Amino acid sequence: MTFEDLTTIAPLILAVLSAAAVLIVDLIWPGRSPLAIATALLTLGATAAVTIVVGQSPSTAFGGAYTVDALTSFLDVLFIAIVVLTIMFAPDYLLPRSLPVAEFAIVLIFAMCGAMLIAGSADLLLLFLGLELMVLPGYLLAGFHKSDSYSTEGAIKYFLLGAFSSAIFLFGLAFVWGLTGTTRVDGVAEALSAIIAGDAPLSPGLAMGLAFLTTGVAFKIAAVPFHYWTPDAYQGSPTPITGYLSVGPKIGAFALILRLFVEALGPLSDVWLPVIVILSAITMTLGNLVALTQDNVKRMLAYSSIAHTGYMLVGLAAYAGGQMDGLEGLLYYGAAYTFMNLGAFAVIAALQKRTGVTSSLGTFAGLGRKEPLLGILMALFLLSLTGIPPTAGFFAKATVIVAAVEAGGALTVLAVIAVLNAAAAAFYYLRIIVYMYMRDPESDAPALRHGALMWGGLAAATTMTLLLGLLPSALLEIVTDAAKAIATIP
Amino acid sequence: MSVGDVPILSIIIFLPLVGALVVAILPSAYTRPAALAFALLTWVASLLLLLGYLPGRPGFQYEEVASWIPLFGIQYKVGVDGLSAAMVVLTTTLTWICILASFKPIQNRIKEYMIAFLVLEVGMVGVFLALDLFLFYIFWEIVLVPMYLIIGIWGGANRIYATVKFVLYTLVGSLLMLVAILATAFAFQSATGSWDGAFDFVRLREFAASPTGGFSDVLQLGAFLAFFLAFAIKVPMFPFHTWLPDAHTEAPTAGSVILAGVLLKLGGYGFIRFALPLFPDAAQTLAPAIIVLSLIAIIYGAIVALVQPDLKRLVAYSSVSHMGFVTLGIFVFNEQGTQGAILQMVNHGLITGALFLLVGVIYERTHDRTIAKMSGLAGRTPVYAAIFGFFVFASGGLPGLSGFVGEFLALVGTFAVSPAAAAIAALVMILGAGYLLYMFGRIVFGELSDFLAGLGDHLTDIEPVEILTLVPLATLVVIFGVQPGLLLELVQGTVDATVEAAAGGTAIAIGGEVIALIGGLVLLGVLARIGWALVHGESATGPASATAEGGAAH
Repeated sequence: MTFEDLTTIAPLILAVLSAAAVLIVDLIWPGRSPLAIATALLTLGATAAVTIVVGQSPSTAFGGAYTVDALTSFLDVLFIAIVVLTIMFAPDYLLPRSLPVAEFAIVLIFAMCGAMLIAGSADLLLLFLGLELMVLPGYLLAGFHKSDSYSTEGAIKYFLLGAFSSAIFLFGLAFVWGLTGTTRVDGVAEALSAIIAGDAPLSPGLAMGLAFLTTGVAFKIAAVPFHYWTPDAYQGSPTPITGYLSVGPKIGAFALILRLFVEALGPLSDVWLPVIVILSAITMTLGNLVALTQDNVKRMLAYSSIAHTGYMLVGLAAYAGGQMDGLEGLLYYGAAYTFMNLGAFAVIAALQKRTGVTSSLGTFAGLGRKEPLLGILMALFLLSLTGIPPTAGFFAKATVIVAAVEAGGALTVLAVIAVLNAAAAAFYYLRIIVYMYMRDPESDAPALRHGALMWGGLAAATTMTLLLGLLPSALLEIVTDAAKAIATIP
Repeated sequence: MSVGDVPILSIIIFLPLVGALVVAILPSAYTRPAALAFALLTWVASLLLLLGYLPGRPGFQYEEVASWIPLFGIQYKVGVDGLSAAMVVLTTTLTWICILASFKPIQNRIKEYMIAFLVLEVGMVGVFLALDLFLFYIFWEIVLVPMYLIIGIWGGANRIYATVKFVLYTLVGSLLMLVAILATAFAFQSATGSWDGAFDFVRLREFAASPTGGFSDVLQLGAFLAFFLAFAIKVPMFPFHTWLPDAHTEAPTAGSVILAGVLLKLGGYGFIRFALPLFPDAAQTLAPAIIVLSLIAIIYGAIVALVQPDLKRLVAYSSVSHMGFVTLGIFVFNEQGTQGAILQMVNHGLITGALFLLVGVIYERTHDRTIAKMSGLAGRTPVYAAIFGFFVFASGGLPGLSGFVGEFLALVGTFAVSPAAAAIAALVMILGAGYLLYMFGRIVFGELSDFLAGLGDHLTDIEPVEILTLVPLATLVVIFGVQPGLLLELVQGTVDATVEAAAGGTAIAIGGEVIALIGGLVLLGVLARIGWALVHGESATGPASATAEGGAAH
């Protein structure tokens, strides 16, 4: 290990130190949650700053196993933003339920380390390590409210299916390793290019490996038909954690897709393209159709997050169809989805500050009158999730759709399916707005007072939701650089 | 180009937004005057624009261009020609009238209402002024949200059902249009090798008209059908009209006025501005089918209006019929037809807007709109009856009032293409006079009905403020009826450009692709209908519980 290696992985080191710092603070002053939160936010801020500095110059560490490029730093900053926002939203929900805030933050930061590891992996083994480090804390978090039976049930389902899919994924990796003889991402890509260039068609072993990998990843991003764990895990988890689970591990799994499918398995894109197209179409369609029938907002947003997975896959399909813009769209969508979805879950968490409040639609009745500011923010996030301009969600959809249209052929059909889905999705998003603005409140309970952290986080999510819709150029440039770092087509 | 280089178009677009912010900040006591003040200011600004506009010059005036998303060549580009100038002034006029007309009926959540109305104005004016397809789409969608809230919060008993239906119908059309816009821009990018100007309407129009260029047949058909669907739903053309009666009936009075006066015009405007010049070949190919649909709309709207028991529903269906003349006039591709279509758009906005205001006046007093329950209004409310009569005759197409001119020109244009179609449409004008006069006769003449007599002193004649909202409309109806040349001169440049663009198109041979695309559209329609029926079953709980709360909204 050289000094250069250390600077390259400095963001990771700092992230681990951040978790350790919170751990120590909590040990010395147990139960002082403001102190723990302040420590977490400060150290995460420092991590983000270092990530940006390190990301300025692409470099590799450990003989090429870990790499820092524009994609790594973009994703790392996004992961840090997700965790920071989640930590800001959590106390209002956790404290009234006597759930420990500091431990929550620690587990979350460890999960973030896993996601960051995925983002920089140039080696299949490291990818798998990162994946496990990312999802294991997720199981813990899902069952964080251990006296709540829904939370425990969701966590067990999430854990069993998650472990199952990890095994399948690992099996697929073994096939790829066996056929190419290397675990290095660029080496795999080279070997596969040679295999494809030769006369031998897709060998059964490779096809099996590809099938296992696709299945494993589809589980992680909750693509239909591998989505069954999602609704229960999302509904059962404490709300701020649901918010995190709906974006963090999802974006993390997409990072895995970028490193694995786009980089390592890029030469086989003709083979996996049709699979992605079909996955994408059924994922968004089924996600939306089932979301239409939900009366529980958390469950509704769980299915909606499945649908959003489908939209993001449109970008991936467009890339495999030969359009760089597809990757840009995917990354842009990831960022936009992060802020609007976290924002929506934050509003639910804020409403559940009063213990015993469920996440049923009735909770939202008359919100526009009772808590006008919270109502307007929720409406904004929902309109953004629907894809109404001038919000982040609209521009994100436009970027993936434009890429699909550019790719042409079957992908144009996919683009049409995507927009029709967006229209159908409007129905259930608007239903929440109907409850907020067109119904009278169900209870006379007075309006809640929300913490400064909650408002700060909401302000940040709102700003980003509007900014990414109104002035998309800045982020577009960043995602273009990020996409260029791994794209093999000009 | 502009006077003293004032960005007048941006001012007109964003002044209502400033107004919305001011209304949001000011204490509730100032909500009404502040909203009205900003609507009037916008109106004055639009009149200044009209004064400064030079009708003789071709192309767009007062253009403002700023780079927005350079990576895709997306710009903030606005400009005005005769058609958009006319539509903008119509919008700003109707907006302040609507805000004034809402002072009394809206007593619930006034601040939110005024903010929604001002934001709505931003979207509507923006649609008429945008010269960048992306920007156009954004304004197009912005219109949707406030209208959704206006119907859903301040509407009648079935408001939630109506508003969701309105949004879903519109959204299906507009999202497909988004795909078409992106596909068109990409086709331009592929042809020129650069995203520069790919969303710029002026550049795209030049490209479409150039003898060597133009978009491929498949793209034209696909994109035209997508634009067509979005615009046809807005107009609304038969068979995409079913959202309209619900939305109109449930919307508050001012919502109906804006819906009929401006929102329906977005569709006609879209056809003239975008669909025809960009895809002339596809337009030529599909024109016969669209003419047939227009004729069906004219006949069907009139016949259904004839049997409506509800005043508002009657006016709503008459809109379907009257707007049929707009699409008819556009798709005969000649000067008179296009002139007629534009005139009809403006006049329908004025007249139907006024009719909805008048229905609102009577509803305020009776809380009922059933035609059968009313008669003898002439005796108790003579002024109201007289004004109502004036607009009924205008709507029925009485020569000398503006309603006549547009329909007449559209018919002249149609006659040149197909005498049979013109004859059918002309016969329906009689039907139109029939349902309007029948309705008018029943509620105005005869003895005072028991229902109205039972209201006692509540049944007062029309008030000065209410008259004030109708006077500008009546004045314009007379002016354009006697001197339509004023309006024709303003829009002549647009008419010439549109007719020229359409004439440049040659019909695409009907091959497998055309049939596949149209078949796909029909299939989509059937699927959408089934989907709607499925979710409707669920949303039926909406209206039921809404009825219980209905009282709170009034």
